[in-house]
Amino acid sequence: MATATLPLRLLPSKTLTLPFFPSARRPFASFAAASSSPRSWRLLAAAEEAPEPVEVEFVEPESEAAEEASVPEPVEAQLAAAGAGKDADIFAVVMHLHRLFPWLQIGSRQYIVMPGRYIYTQRLKGANVNDEIILNKVLLVSTRDKAYIGMPVVTNAAVHAVVEEQGRDDKVIVFKYKKKKKYQRKLGHRQPNTRLKITGISGYEDYPADPILDPVAA
Amino acid sequence: MCSFASNFRGAHLRLNRMITQQVRRAFVSSHRDRGRQKRDFRRLWITRINAATRIYKVFDSYSKLIHNLYKNELILNRKMLAQVAVLNPNNLYTISNKIKTIN
Repeated sequence: MATATLPLRLLPSKTLTLPFFPSARRPFASFAAASSSPRSWRLLAAAEEAPEPVEVEFVEPESEAAEEASVPEPVEAQLAAAGAGKDADIFAVVMHLHRLFPWLQIGSRQYIVMPGRYIYTQRLKGANVNDEIILNKVLLVSTRDKAYIGMPVVTNAAVHAVVEEQGRDDKVIVFKYKKKKKYQRKLGHRQPNTRLKITGISGYEDYPADPILDPVAA
Repeated sequence: MCSFASNFRGAHLRLNRMITQQVRRAFVSSHRDRGRQKRDFRRLWITRINAATRIYKVFDSYSKLIHNLYKNELILNRKMLAQVAVLNPNNLYTISNKIKTIN
Protein backbone atom coordinates (compact mmCIF):
# COMPACT_ATOMS: atom_id res chain seq x y z
CA MET A 1 0.00 0.00 0.00
CA ALA A 2 2.63 2.43 -0.92
CA THR A 3 0.23 4.76 -2.57
CA ALA A 4 -2.03 5.10 0.36
CA THR A 5 -3.97 8.01 -0.92
CA LEU A 6 -4.54 7.06 -4.49
CA PRO A 7 -7.61 8.97 -5.40
CA LEU A 8 -10.41 6.58 -5.72
CA ARG A 9 -11.96 8.04 -8.75
CA LEU A 10 -13.94 4.99 -9.45
CA LEU A 11 -17.31 6.02 -8.52
CA PRO A 12 -17.66 8.94 -6.25
CA SER A 13 -19.22 12.14 -7.13
CA LYS A 14 -16.86 13.17 -9.83
CA THR A 15 -15.92 10.25 -11.80
CA LEU A 16 -16.66 8.96 -15.14
CA THR A 17 -17.35 5.33 -14.82
CA LEU A 18 -15.83 2.40 -16.47
CA PRO A 19 -12.93 1.85 -18.63
CA PHE A 20 -11.63 5.32 -18.16
CA PHE A 21 -12.29 5.41 -14.54
CA PRO A 22 -9.06 6.63 -13.09
CA SER A 23 -8.56 9.56 -15.32
CA ALA A 24 -11.75 11.13 -16.49
CA ARG A 25 -13.59 13.39 -14.17
CA ARG A 26 -17.12 14.31 -14.41
CA PRO A 27 -19.39 15.67 -11.78
CA PHE A 28 -22.16 13.37 -11.11
CA ALA A 29 -24.24 11.75 -8.57
CA SER A 30 -26.21 8.62 -8.71
CA PHE A 31 -29.58 9.36 -9.96
CA ALA A 32 -30.88 5.91 -10.18
CA ALA A 33 -34.18 5.82 -8.49
CA ALA A 34 -33.20 2.46 -7.21
CA SER A 35 -30.70 3.90 -4.87
CA SER A 36 -33.14 5.92 -2.89
CA SER A 37 -34.82 3.36 -0.82
CA PRO A 38 -38.28 4.34 0.35
CA ARG A 39 -37.48 3.27 3.85
CA SER A 40 -35.33 5.54 5.87
CA TRP A 41 -32.37 3.76 7.29
CA ARG A 42 -31.12 4.74 10.60
CA LEU A 43 -27.51 4.09 10.81
CA LEU A 44 -26.23 2.70 13.95
CA ALA A 45 -22.69 3.21 14.86
CA ALA A 46 -21.03 -0.12 14.84
CA ALA A 47 -18.93 -0.82 17.82
CA GLU A 48 -15.46 -1.65 16.98
CA GLU A 49 -12.77 -0.47 15.02
CA ALA A 50 -10.93 -1.25 12.08
CA PRO A 51 -7.32 -1.98 12.03
CA GLU A 52 -5.28 -0.43 9.31
CA PRO A 53 -5.82 -2.80 6.51
CA VAL A 54 -2.46 -4.02 5.57
CA GLU A 55 -2.32 -7.01 3.38
CA VAL A 56 -4.82 -9.71 3.07
CA GLU A 57 -4.51 -10.48 6.71
CA PHE A 58 -6.66 -8.31 8.77
CA VAL A 59 -6.34 -8.10 12.44
CA GLU A 60 -9.85 -9.11 13.18
CA PRO A 61 -11.41 -6.81 15.68
CA GLU A 62 -14.13 -7.83 18.05
CA SER A 63 -17.36 -6.86 16.51
CA GLU A 64 -19.96 -5.98 18.98
CA ALA A 65 -23.54 -5.48 18.15
CA ALA A 66 -24.36 -2.19 16.65
CA GLU A 67 -25.93 0.59 18.61
CA GLU A 68 -23.23 1.20 21.11
CA ALA A 69 -20.80 4.00 20.83
CA SER A 70 -17.69 2.67 19.34
CA VAL A 71 -14.89 1.82 21.64
CA PRO A 72 -11.66 2.52 19.88
CA GLU A 73 -8.85 0.16 20.38
CA PRO A 74 -5.45 1.51 21.20
CA VAL A 75 -4.39 1.10 17.61
CA GLU A 76 -6.94 3.59 16.51
CA ALA A 77 -6.57 5.89 19.42
CA GLN A 78 -5.10 8.69 17.44
CA LEU A 79 -7.80 8.50 14.86
CA ALA A 80 -10.58 8.53 17.34
CA ALA A 81 -9.29 11.64 18.97
CA ALA A 82 -11.87 13.94 17.52
CA GLY A 83 -14.77 11.71 18.21
CA ALA A 84 -15.87 8.18 18.09
CA GLY A 85 -17.95 6.70 15.34
CA LYS A 86 -20.67 9.01 14.28
CA ASP A 87 -24.01 8.15 12.99
CA ALA A 88 -23.83 9.08 9.43
CA ASP A 89 -26.41 9.06 6.74
CA ILE A 90 -24.17 7.02 4.74
CA PHE A 91 -24.24 3.73 3.03
CA ALA A 92 -21.29 1.92 1.88
CA VAL A 93 -21.16 -0.40 -0.98
CA VAL A 94 -17.74 -1.56 -1.01
CA MET A 95 -16.21 -3.82 -3.43
CA HIS A 96 -12.84 -5.00 -3.47
CA LEU A 97 -10.56 -6.26 -6.10
CA HIS A 98 -7.68 -7.87 -4.40
CA ARG A 99 -8.34 -7.27 -0.83
CA LEU A 100 -11.46 -6.49 0.90
CA PHE A 101 -13.54 -3.69 -0.27
CA PRO A 102 -17.05 -2.68 0.49
CA TRP A 103 -19.63 -0.93 -1.51
CA LEU A 104 -21.15 2.01 0.25
CA GLN A 105 -23.99 4.34 -0.11
CA ILE A 106 -23.44 7.85 1.08
CA GLY A 107 -25.82 10.71 0.73
CA SER A 108 -27.95 8.70 -1.67
CA ARG A 109 -24.98 7.88 -3.84
CA GLN A 110 -23.18 4.61 -3.87
CA TYR A 111 -19.47 4.14 -3.93
CA ILE A 112 -17.06 1.36 -4.35
CA VAL A 113 -14.46 1.81 -1.73
CA MET A 114 -11.14 0.28 -0.91
CA PRO A 115 -9.10 0.73 2.17
CA GLY A 116 -6.35 3.24 1.77
CA ARG A 117 -8.10 5.28 -0.85
CA TYR A 118 -10.20 8.36 -0.60
CA ILE A 119 -13.55 9.31 -1.95
CA TYR A 120 -15.38 12.56 -2.37
CA THR A 121 -18.87 12.66 -0.97
CA GLN A 122 -21.46 15.26 -0.30
CA ARG A 123 -20.55 17.58 2.52
CA LEU A 124 -21.08 15.97 5.87
CA LYS A 125 -22.28 18.76 8.03
CA GLY A 126 -21.08 17.92 11.46
CA ALA A 127 -17.75 16.47 10.55
CA ASN A 128 -14.50 18.19 11.23
CA VAL A 129 -11.20 17.36 9.72
CA ASN A 130 -9.63 14.28 11.22
CA ASP A 131 -12.88 12.97 12.58
CA GLU A 132 -13.27 9.30 12.40
CA ILE A 133 -16.45 8.30 10.77
CA ILE A 134 -18.15 4.99 10.54
CA LEU A 135 -20.22 4.32 7.52
CA ASN A 136 -22.86 1.83 8.22
CA LYS A 137 -24.75 1.14 5.13
CA VAL A 138 -22.63 -1.41 3.52
CA LEU A 139 -24.44 -2.93 0.63
CA LEU A 140 -21.91 -5.42 -0.48
CA VAL A 141 -18.53 -6.53 0.68
CA SER A 142 -16.35 -8.49 -1.55
CA THR A 143 -13.07 -10.17 -1.03
CA ARG A 144 -11.05 -12.20 -3.37
CA ASP A 145 -13.05 -15.34 -2.83
CA LYS A 146 -16.25 -14.33 -1.24
CA ALA A 147 -18.99 -11.85 -1.62
CA TYR A 148 -21.16 -10.75 1.24
CA ILE A 149 -24.21 -9.56 -0.54
CA GLY A 150 -26.37 -7.40 1.60
CA MET A 151 -30.10 -7.80 1.48
CA PRO A 152 -30.17 -4.88 1.46
CA VAL A 153 -27.44 -4.17 3.91
CA VAL A 154 -24.64 -6.30 5.25
CA THR A 155 -25.56 -6.27 8.90
CA ASN A 156 -22.96 -5.05 11.31
CA ALA A 157 -20.56 -4.21 8.59
CA ALA A 158 -18.92 -0.88 8.88
CA VAL A 159 -16.49 1.09 6.88
CA HIS A 160 -14.18 3.29 8.80
CA ALA A 161 -13.13 6.52 7.31
CA VAL A 162 -11.35 9.63 8.35
CA VAL A 163 -12.45 13.02 7.17
CA GLU A 164 -9.51 14.40 5.30
CA GLU A 165 -10.85 17.63 4.03
CA GLN A 166 -14.05 19.60 3.69
CA GLY A 167 -13.77 21.37 0.43
CA ARG A 168 -15.74 22.29 -2.63
CA ASP A 169 -16.08 20.79 -6.04
CA ASP A 170 -14.82 22.54 -9.09
CA LYS A 171 -16.87 25.45 -10.23
CA VAL A 172 -19.68 24.86 -12.64
CA ILE A 173 -21.10 27.80 -14.46
CA VAL A 174 -24.84 27.97 -14.48
CA PHE A 175 -25.82 29.88 -17.55
CA LYS A 176 -29.32 30.64 -18.64
CA TYR A 177 -29.96 32.21 -21.96
CA LYS A 178 -32.92 32.89 -24.18
CA LYS A 179 -32.12 33.89 -27.68
CA LYS A 180 -33.54 37.07 -29.18
CA LYS A 181 -35.07 38.01 -25.85
CA LYS A 182 -32.08 39.67 -24.28
CA TYR A 183 -32.16 37.37 -21.34
CA GLN A 184 -29.09 35.82 -19.89
CA ARG A 185 -27.99 34.96 -16.39
CA LYS A 186 -24.63 33.69 -15.32
CA LEU A 187 -23.97 32.12 -11.97
CA GLY A 188 -21.10 30.11 -10.61
CA HIS A 189 -21.57 27.25 -8.25
CA ARG A 190 -19.23 25.16 -6.18
CA GLN A 191 -20.78 22.27 -4.41
CA PRO A 192 -19.38 21.56 -0.96
CA ASN A 193 -17.90 18.14 -0.59
CA THR A 194 -16.02 16.08 1.91
CA ARG A 195 -13.07 13.91 1.26
CA LEU A 196 -13.03 10.73 3.23
CA LYS A 197 -10.08 8.49 3.47
CA ILE A 198 -11.13 4.93 3.98
CA THR A 199 -9.14 3.23 6.65
CA GLY A 200 -10.77 -0.10 6.93
CA ILE A 201 -13.72 -2.36 6.68
CA SER A 202 -14.99 -4.52 9.46
CA GLY A 203 -17.88 -6.43 10.79
CA TYR A 204 -18.82 -8.32 7.71
CA GLU A 205 -17.38 -11.67 8.65
CA ASP A 206 -20.43 -13.04 10.34
CA TYR A 207 -22.66 -12.38 7.48
CA PRO A 208 -23.40 -15.29 5.19
CA ALA A 209 -21.02 -15.23 2.33
CA ASP A 210 -21.27 -16.44 -1.17
CA PRO A 211 -18.27 -17.79 -2.91
CA ILE A 212 -17.50 -15.87 -6.00
CA LEU A 213 -18.32 -18.03 -8.94
CA ASP A 214 -16.65 -18.06 -12.24
CA PRO A 215 -19.16 -17.82 -15.02
CA VAL A 216 -16.82 -19.34 -17.50
CA ALA A 217 -16.36 -22.46 -15.48
CA ALA A 218 -20.04 -22.80 -14.71
CA MET B 1 -13.80 35.35 -21.92
CA CYS B 2 -10.99 35.31 -24.42
CA SER B 3 -9.25 32.82 -22.23
CA PHE B 4 -12.34 30.67 -22.05
CA ALA B 5 -12.40 30.66 -25.81
CA SER B 6 -8.71 30.15 -26.13
CA ASN B 7 -9.06 26.64 -27.41
CA PHE B 8 -11.80 27.26 -29.90
CA ARG B 9 -11.31 26.83 -33.55
CA GLY B 10 -10.44 29.37 -36.20
CA ALA B 11 -12.32 32.64 -36.17
CA HIS B 12 -14.20 31.55 -33.09
CA LEU B 13 -11.24 32.41 -30.97
CA ARG B 14 -10.03 35.43 -32.83
CA LEU B 15 -12.96 37.66 -33.57
CA ASN B 16 -14.72 39.34 -30.67
CA ARG B 17 -18.25 38.96 -31.87
CA MET B 18 -17.74 35.33 -32.60
CA ILE B 19 -16.08 34.81 -29.27
CA THR B 20 -19.06 36.19 -27.38
CA GLN B 21 -21.47 34.09 -29.37
CA GLN B 22 -19.50 30.92 -29.10
CA VAL B 23 -18.82 31.30 -25.42
CA ARG B 24 -22.51 31.77 -24.82
CA ARG B 25 -23.25 28.63 -26.75
CA ALA B 26 -20.60 26.78 -24.85
CA PHE B 27 -22.05 27.76 -21.49
CA VAL B 28 -25.56 26.92 -22.58
CA SER B 29 -24.48 23.54 -23.85
CA SER B 30 -22.62 22.74 -20.71
CA HIS B 31 -25.57 23.71 -18.52
CA ARG B 32 -28.02 21.71 -20.55
CA ASP B 33 -25.76 18.74 -20.85
CA ARG B 34 -25.07 18.51 -17.18
CA GLY B 35 -28.68 17.54 -16.90
CA ARG B 36 -28.39 15.18 -19.82
CA GLN B 37 -25.27 13.63 -18.44
CA LYS B 38 -27.29 12.07 -15.70
CA ARG B 39 -29.63 10.53 -18.20
CA ASP B 40 -26.86 9.44 -20.51
CA PHE B 41 -24.96 7.66 -17.85
CA ARG B 42 -27.95 5.83 -16.64
CA ARG B 43 -28.59 4.62 -20.15
CA LEU B 44 -25.03 3.52 -20.47
CA TRP B 45 -25.16 1.56 -17.27
CA ILE B 46 -28.37 -0.10 -18.20
CA THR B 47 -26.95 -1.15 -21.51
CA ARG B 48 -23.90 -2.56 -19.87
CA ILE B 49 -25.83 -4.42 -17.24
CA ASN B 50 -28.09 -5.78 -19.93
CA ALA B 51 -25.15 -7.03 -21.91
CA ALA B 52 -23.57 -8.64 -18.92
CA THR B 53 -26.73 -10.40 -17.81
CA ARG B 54 -27.32 -11.82 -21.21
CA ILE B 55 -23.85 -13.24 -21.30
CA TYR B 56 -24.15 -15.04 -18.01
CA LYS B 57 -27.48 -16.58 -18.81
CA VAL B 58 -28.61 -16.54 -15.23
CA PHE B 59 -31.33 -14.11 -16.16
CA ASP B 60 -32.61 -13.55 -19.62
CA SER B 61 -32.45 -9.83 -19.55
CA TYR B 62 -31.82 -6.68 -17.62
CA SER B 63 -35.45 -6.36 -16.74
CA LYS B 64 -35.54 -9.74 -15.08
CA LEU B 65 -32.36 -9.03 -13.20
CA ILE B 66 -33.66 -5.76 -11.83
CA HIS B 67 -36.99 -7.26 -10.94
CA ASN B 68 -35.31 -9.96 -8.94
CA LEU B 69 -32.94 -7.53 -7.37
CA TYR B 70 -35.83 -5.58 -6.02
CA LYS B 71 -37.73 -8.62 -4.96
CA ASN B 72 -34.79 -9.58 -2.84
CA GLU B 73 -34.39 -6.11 -1.46
CA LEU B 74 -30.98 -5.40 -2.87
CA ILE B 75 -30.47 -1.72 -3.38
CA LEU B 76 -27.34 -1.81 -5.40
CA ASN B 77 -27.84 0.80 -7.98
CA ARG B 78 -27.21 0.67 -11.65
CA LYS B 79 -24.05 2.66 -11.56
CA MET B 80 -22.55 0.12 -9.26
CA LEU B 81 -23.87 -2.85 -11.09
CA ALA B 82 -22.39 -1.55 -14.28
CA GLN B 83 -19.03 -0.98 -12.67
CA VAL B 84 -19.15 -4.41 -11.21
CA ALA B 85 -20.04 -5.88 -14.54
CA VAL B 86 -16.98 -4.40 -16.08
CA LEU B 87 -14.41 -4.68 -13.35
CA ASN B 88 -15.57 -7.72 -11.50
CA PRO B 89 -17.76 -9.80 -13.70
CA ASN B 90 -17.56 -12.71 -11.36
CA ASN B 91 -19.21 -10.67 -8.67
CA LEU B 92 -22.11 -9.82 -10.87
CA TYR B 93 -22.50 -13.45 -11.71
CA THR B 94 -22.44 -14.33 -8.04
CA ILE B 95 -25.05 -11.74 -7.22
CA SER B 96 -27.37 -12.87 -9.95
CA ASN B 97 -27.00 -16.47 -8.95
CA LYS B 98 -27.79 -15.68 -5.40
CA ILE B 99 -30.94 -13.80 -6.15
CA LYS B 100 -32.06 -16.43 -8.55
CA THR B 101 -31.67 -19.22 -6.08
CA ILE B 102 -33.37 -17.34 -3.33
CA ASN B 103 -36.49 -17.00 -5.36
